Amino acid sequence: MVYQARLVEVVVMSSSGESLVREASVAPAMSRRTLLGRIIQGLGLSLVLSPAIPVVQAREQVVEISETDRLIVRVARPLDAETPVQEFVSFLTPNSRFFVRSHFGPPPQEQHSEENWRLRVTGLVDRPLTLTLDDLKQFETVTITAVVQCSGNGRALYRPKTPGVQWERGAVGNARWTGVRLLDVLRRAGLQTNGLHVQFQGADRPVAATVPLFVRSIPVEKALHPDTILAYEMNGRPLSLLHGAPLRVVTPGWMADSCIKWLTDITVQQDEAQGYYMQTAYRYPTRQVTLGETIALDDLKPVEAMIVKSLIAQPQAGAVLVSGPVMIQGVAWTGEGRIAGVDVSLDEGRTWAQARLIGEDQPYGWRQWQYIWEATTAGPRTILCRATDDRGNRQPERSPWNPGGFLWNGWDRVSVTVAG
Amino acid sequence: MRLATRVVAVCLLGLATLLLGRAGAVPEGRIGSDARAEGLVLARCGTCHSTDLIMQQRLDRPRWQATVGKMIHWGAELSDEEADLLVEFLAARFHPTASGLVPLSEIGEAEPLQAEPLSMQERPNGVAQQGAALFATNCQACHGAGAGGGFGPKLAGNPILHAEASFWETVLYGRGSMPAWEHGLSRQDIADIQAWLKTL
Ligand code: HEC
Ligand code: HEC
Repeated sequence: MVYQARLVEVVVMSSSGESLVREASVAPAMSRRTLLGRIIQGLGLSLVLSPAIPVVQAREQVVEISETDRLIVRVARPLDAETPVQEFVSFLTPNSRFFVRSHFGPPPQEQHSEENWRLRVTGLVDRPLTLTLDDLKQFETVTITAVVQCSGNGRALYRPKTPGVQWERGAVGNARWTGVRLLDVLRRAGLQTNGLHVQFQGADRPVAATVPLFVRSIPVEKALHPDTILAYEMNGRPLSLLHGAPLRVVTPGWMADSCIKWLTDITVQQDEAQGYYMQTAYRYPTRQVTLGETIALDDLKPVEAMIVKSLIAQPQAGAVLVSGPVMIQGVAWTGEGRIAGVDVSLDEGRTWAQARLIGEDQPYGWRQWQYIWEATTAGPRTILCRATDDRGNRQPERSPWNPGGFLWNGWDRVSVTVAG
Repeated sequence: MRLATRVVAVCLLGLATLLLGRAGAVPEGRIGSDARAEGLVLARCGTCHSTDLIMQQRLDRPRWQATVGKMIHWGAELSDEEADLLVEFLAARFHPTASGLVPLSEIGEAEPLQAEPLSMQERPNGVAQQGAALFATNCQACHGAGAGGGFGPKLAGNPILHAEASFWETVLYGRGSMPAWEHGLSRQDIADIQAWLKTL
């Protein structure tokens, strides 16, 4: 495919900041909403970003991402982009505003088109399967509302800083996922008793064969949980390419590192998946550690369940508020329990007041909350929130440091100014 | 084949960007090696992922070393000498206290960034008379005669001269196309230049 590639605005609302290699000069005249024509797989941002640079003839795959409206791009290629938190005033996060995390980016069209796509189920099963999307849709359909969150969400808030995509607050979203139970598919294949781990692999491939594949596994208990699904729809629409078309795993209550996109291979095996993305990355220490310390492998376990967390969606950071009543609202979610309450503090955590939980209450969805603050004194103020779940877990002021920068759930904070 | 084409493309445009960014007289030495390192980042690191992933990191030297090592293991094409140069460059430019990409407004209050690059005690008193010549040799090409501005911003009367931490961080570790002087000038030299700039 040959495309005339001209990427208008990738660093859409990216945080301010200089760029060393002078590559991210955003065209300020572009409206934030006209957004990205296309992202060019395999080409540097530097090539395409500045309108001053002549149009590049790229013999590369081009991915339409006009669908990703208003995302903050953290990494242009492969695309990692987060949702501006002010979007989290709605219960469901619209598909076009849902964060995108890619290890290698979407596979080429030939592989994910419905005619060519197959799901293979192999390993410790009595009857290996090869299924088309239509075959798959013969299983009972289920729809589950679930938060999907990148395990690195909030990594940028850790001090000292940890390597990886510097996600701030918005690598999370809540959607209705429709598909079939993994349990039903595994039953059809005839799971053998020594099958203890279920491994997933998608069709995405790195640029160089020397890079490890993104292969992950989940323990069989989670795989057989009736709420673990293979999803082909997101918020009632077919999964889009960036979100894993035609099929992805959704493990409600667990972090998104288990929610493999572009799924093509399910392998039942006795052991955990091997390789970098299971054995090294996405691991978390079971004890308090510090930078520079050597951590024994036994002290690291895979990132699995989410932990209790909340975000302030409104007002936005930096807002100038008219004195009087101010509606503070946001969302809160947890891993395998339910949200019990959300508190708000306007005095740096000395005193807390209870927010009101509102809206839909779904087992794996997030809870919306609101709190009305009588903003009387003029000047700068910081709004804090923290959530508690029904198992008694409460958000800490800041999360224990870990080398991968995973599972941040410190109090959320937004600074505003009350006008005089 | 595809990879090769891509690398060439990245190189070419990278070069163009660098050249554009550096129009005007470019002094020798430290800046030259930075330019080479920047070129390597674009050409050798930009093949698998865009370089924004690199620039948003704020890591100390051991972790840059480990990261570059991991990338080489995964296929980044760098000689030992190039790898050393790159680690040096990345550790100087994207160190834990470097400013940039991550907005500090929301995060800064959660916990202040680490210690300032250099404590007040380690900043010698500057001698303005010494500073003029040092400025002419090292800074004037970009910041113009009398520090009136050129390729780099005007420094005469610039409030950053009195924002100690920012001034020192910028001069020691560089920013954008502003080179890092950590290894190029002594602390005393920098203090002298600062003192002279304040007299303008
Ligand atoms: C052969 C492909 C390849 C090359 C070349 C490459 N990288 Fe990477 N890099 C990767 C992959 C794969 C990841 C992990 C991406 C993911 O999981 O999202 C990565 C991630 C990173 C990260 C994020 C931290 C981490 O450890 O995941 C940094 C920083 C980084 N690379 C720096 C560099 C630098 C500097 C160079 C040039 C010396 C470079 N890369 C060259 C493949 C490459
Ligand atoms: C190769 C050109 C170049 C040289 C040489 C150079 N600078 Fe700069 N300098 C710049 C550029 C470009 C900027 C703007 C950086 C940015 O913000 O992207 C800058 C910014 C600065 C700033 C920050 C100004 C502000 O308003 O934030 C200071 C301070 C500074 N330079 C001091 C110096 C000193 C002192 C020297 C000599 C020791 C020097 N520079 C040499 C190019 C240069």
